[in-house]
Amino acid sequence: MAVETVGTKPPEPRAAALRTRATRFTELSRDVLRNPTTLIGLILIVGLIAMAIFAPLLVEPNTPDPYQMPRDWAALNEPPGTPGHILGTTQQGGDVLYGVIWGARTSLRLSLIVVSITVVIGLIVGSLAGFLGGKIDEFLMRLVDVFLSIPELIFALAIAAVLGPSFANIILALAAVFWVKYARIIRGQVITIKQNEYVDAARVIGDSRFRIYMKDVLPNSITPVVVQATLDMGNVVLIGATLSFIGLAEAGLAEWGVLVSQGQAGISAGRWWASTFPGLMVFLWALAFNLLGDGFRDILDPKTESKR
Amino acid sequence: MTVARAPEPGTTDEAVAVASVVGLKVHFESKAGRVHAVDGVDLDIRDGETLGLVGETGCGKSVTARSFLRLIPMPPGIHAGGSVLFRPHRPCPHCSGVGCPECGDTGRLPTACPRCEGSGCSVCGDTGIETIDLSTLPEAGLRDIRGDRIAMIFQDPAKALNPALTVREQLAEAFYQHRTDEVLSRAEMANTHNVLLRRHASQRSRLIERWLLAMPPLRGQRDRIEDVVDDMVAAALAETQIPNPVKVMERYPHELSGGMKQRVMIAQALACNPDLLIADEPTTALDVTVQARIIELIKELQSRRKSAVLYISHDLSLVRRVCDRVAVMYAGRVVEVGTTDEIFNNPLHPYTRGLLAAIPSRTHLRGKLVAIKGTVPELIDPPPSCRFVDRCSFAVAVCGEEDPLLEETESGHSVACFIHNPPATAGTLPTYATKTS
Amino acid sequence: MTTTIDTTSSSDAATRGEIAISVRGLHKHFPIREGALQRVAGQVRAVDGVSFDIRRGATVGLVGESGCGKTTLGRCVSGLTDPTTGGVYFDLTEAEHARLDTLLATPEDDRSDEMKAELESIGKHHRIDRLEKKEWVRYRRNCQVVFQDAFASLNPRHLVREIVGRPLKVHKEASGDDLTERVVELLERVGMGRQHLYRYPHQFSGGQRQRISIARALALDPELIVLDEPTSALDVSVQAQILNILHDLQSQLDLTYLFITHDLSVIRHMADEVVVMYLGRVAEAGSTTDIFDDARHPYTRALLKASPDLEDDTDAAFVTLEGSVPDPARPPQGCRFHTRCPVATSICGWEVDDVVRALEETGGGLFGALTEVTRDSEFAADLVFSEEEAAAEMEGALRSDRVPAAAGEALIELRREGTRVRIAFQEVPEVELTERGPGHVAACVLSEPRPE
Repeated sequence: MAVETVGTKPPEPRAAALRTRATRFTELSRDVLRNPTTLIGLILIVGLIAMAIFAPLLVEPNTPDPYQMPRDWAALNEPPGTPGHILGTTQQGGDVLYGVIWGARTSLRLSLIVVSITVVIGLIVGSLAGFLGGKIDEFLMRLVDVFLSIPELIFALAIAAVLGPSFANIILALAAVFWVKYARIIRGQVITIKQNEYVDAARVIGDSRFRIYMKDVLPNSITPVVVQATLDMGNVVLIGATLSFIGLAEAGLAEWGVLVSQGQAGISAGRWWASTFPGLMVFLWALAFNLLGDGFRDILDPKTESKR
Repeated sequence: MTVARAPEPGTTDEAVAVASVVGLKVHFESKAGRVHAVDGVDLDIRDGETLGLVGETGCGKSVTARSFLRLIPMPPGIHAGGSVLFRPHRPCPHCSGVGCPECGDTGRLPTACPRCEGSGCSVCGDTGIETIDLSTLPEAGLRDIRGDRIAMIFQDPAKALNPALTVREQLAEAFYQHRTDEVLSRAEMANTHNVLLRRHASQRSRLIERWLLAMPPLRGQRDRIEDVVDDMVAAALAETQIPNPVKVMERYPHELSGGMKQRVMIAQALACNPDLLIADEPTTALDVTVQARIIELIKELQSRRKSAVLYISHDLSLVRRVCDRVAVMYAGRVVEVGTTDEIFNNPLHPYTRGLLAAIPSRTHLRGKLVAIKGTVPELIDPPPSCRFVDRCSFAVAVCGEEDPLLEETESGHSVACFIHNPPATAGTLPTYATKTS
Repeated sequence: MTTTIDTTSSSDAATRGEIAISVRGLHKHFPIREGALQRVAGQVRAVDGVSFDIRRGATVGLVGESGCGKTTLGRCVSGLTDPTTGGVYFDLTEAEHARLDTLLATPEDDRSDEMKAELESIGKHHRIDRLEKKEWVRYRRNCQVVFQDAFASLNPRHLVREIVGRPLKVHKEASGDDLTERVVELLERVGMGRQHLYRYPHQFSGGQRQRISIARALALDPELIVLDEPTSALDVSVQAQILNILHDLQSQLDLTYLFITHDLSVIRHMADEVVVMYLGRVAEAGSTTDIFDDARHPYTRALLKASPDLEDDTDAAFVTLEGSVPDPARPPQGCRFHTRCPVATSICGWEVDDVVRALEETGGGLFGALTEVTRDSEFAADLVFSEEEAAAEMEGALRSDRVPAAAGEALIELRREGTRVRIAFQEVPEVELTERGPGHVAACVLSEPRPE
């Protein structure tokens, strides 16, 4: 029987495996870089995350808690450009630049924690519902419907209000709202993917249900979750800022929503800087992740992906 | 060898082709490079004949067919050269398309070239018959031809019919769009100057006009137009042997079986008595007993209407039963054209021979099917050589260096292979005796 | 009650091998759910009482049109779907086989407790949906599947090495370098090689993917491979390659094939025995020559005539079938094919549904006037019309030649009282398979179907 060769000569096996995987990754990153909107999103994200990570190097951390705004009682309501306070100060003498930079760190913390909690919960609930089906599916999805029937902002607000104002409670409130989406997405994906013939093929060779789920179903279901998680990295900060804006975070926290909230009173008096800069940061953060998320959605579209 | 079926009027060699594909090239831009999906295809479809276009997946047969109606999305498609010429007919004025001795019962007459009025000029290629280049025609002109002079049947009727419209609405559209005058004259309103009614009969009414038409004075006339169209739809359905067409008209596509949907598609395609019917794998999605009925139906309608049919299929045994002539495509090229008898009884191209030998039949011993080795080549920037060279068991050096052209060997039988058309340069020539591999 | 196709005729029993798989009285019904509460409104009888044997080393072809249940049957045999009733038995000895058939021949209600216990113990060891864990693993290794769509049946995120080596890993037969070598061996068997180990499915052509799929099926050294339309998605030249490979593998490895397809020319080329299915039941079964040269069921004949073949006369018209396949949720009485059969007789199972269907399809206004159908049975009912004229027209139509002659003959009662038309057909049991020759059975009331 003639052996067919497709394209190149046989390469070193293991290296070839690595190369195939690497090619996939380079192709993906090339797609990301080639698309101008995802590229802008990516640049913004890299900048914002760098700012968050290197915050202690950019400005002197406040002691004892660096997430609290430092107070300079000698310089209240200073406009931008003041020596020592490039972006001005707030009514309480907080340095706006400090708030902007450490706010990025707070935001990164917030979004990472919330997104990872919700993805995990969503994965578990959605997988159980989708893969097992039947009564379990019925019960879990009704539960999800209940959560979905309440507007997310109001729901988050109610939880945060009941639990009392603190950063931890904002995380809890956001997590309680955001997991539902993931449960839905995962369930839908799992139900579609498990009908694929390769799942039957895995059953035929006698693999266990759990391993079929881990090897065949989950890896092929995950793409929309990646997209949604990217979008939510932005959305969480947006809603988080809203919650702290209406006073559900501790006062004095280096958080953009808190700063906007505290600075708004001064806008009518011409002190625009205290809320504008943190507001702008919220906008940039949400925009960056939405740009990247939308780009991912196009690039990771299974229809185009399989053809690569 | 059996004698070819008797030539019917209009299928003789002298007959002017109703459509000609001339050096057509359609390429696609892809990440890996430019895919030469159709790379220099020449075809003539003669009036009244059924031309089979066969080939395997990816050979470019569907792309060629879709180029007639410019259904290839551009980009990523690129029209890289050549043209599709079409010579439209018009409904016979003597019988308004019903069929009379004047038009030979076809209901259509050729149209004189508007530029030279039949004396022959460069546009019509000295035939004096109106010739339209479909590849450069503006979109508006193309819309008039689509569904009227050239109709198409698709592989999957479930996807080609609009699920939100009843069968009546789908078919009525064709009449409203292309047969406005006929609708009006049948409704005995041929000379009406009422703009509202005319616009209604060509389905261009706007919301306010529709309200006006629903008012008493116009209502009766509007209903008469609609009754006329309903009759036309029912007649079109009846022609495809749909039982109880009046009932089927009210159904939605999903309420019909696969065979029934394909009949509706055919009725829709033939509604305006087209000059050319393009059937793109019309029975691939159907069961074999249903397929047999659809094939019989297409053959029957074709012999009655004398429309030319371009029948695209991968199923050689089917094509053999349906077509007058067959063109075999491979990797974006036509490699062999001839009458059905010639192609099946005297195949010349090694690819055609391989294809025919690969079909399991009574005489093949098990395990001994003659498979063509290898796979279809990638069509990304192909080198100037025979496209079949890697899979051909007769290939010699010259096959990999030069590109064989489609040349006539016998009357009505052309082939693109150096075995039959030796190249100008000397050297070892391939013959069926030289077996490489 | 089950019908057994006796593939072992006494005369040449010696030449026939032992039986690998026995399908007995297999039913698979899928519930149709309706409404918000998902109430079960009916059952689609995808497979509705099928029995046949697959001999070791043979290729059994399963043919039929879409919706005839051939794929569902294949899934039941491969253990992907559990049957509703009946079962698939494997590894029965000659004696057990005979005993099983004796036991199953007794109607379920008449079976004594001992018989039930005996059936259960046979089931534990041989019936694939009742197997104990260890036996099930053994069957799982012995029966593999090649699916129609090779692309869909290969996990797009796995490399060829992972795909083909996975069965070996699951059953802990090999790992590491050993696994790689075993995979290469398997790939070479299907005409591929080491250079393909580290590629993804999308980097291959359709034919190569199907080869990968076959290599995976071979990994556990199975006895039986269920081939579910393995070449339907491929071009003829590639199909020929795959069919040749399948044939070579069969002779090298002594494989048994259950070859499911709708393509009769492929079946004729590949199969030793053919089972023709129509609407969930076996219409005809026998050796390939029996089916192709001496078909006894009108449906088989229609299928054969409808398939174009390169060697047929071009001018011969296709013989076509009227009507469409009836709803598998309400299969016709008597012979399931009688609604479309060109040679149907009065004893083929004409019933009330035939009248209602005919009214719906061609009755025009009459169907609209039909207000109620009160059934006493499938064969007798009162049709109530809104107007007396409609009822009279109905009566007239049934007496006229607008109904098939055979149906008219089968009509034993036709009476009109006002708007009520009473109709009754003679009652006919379901047509069973009967023997037409050694190992050749057909489910048709005509002992010698008239040539068309």
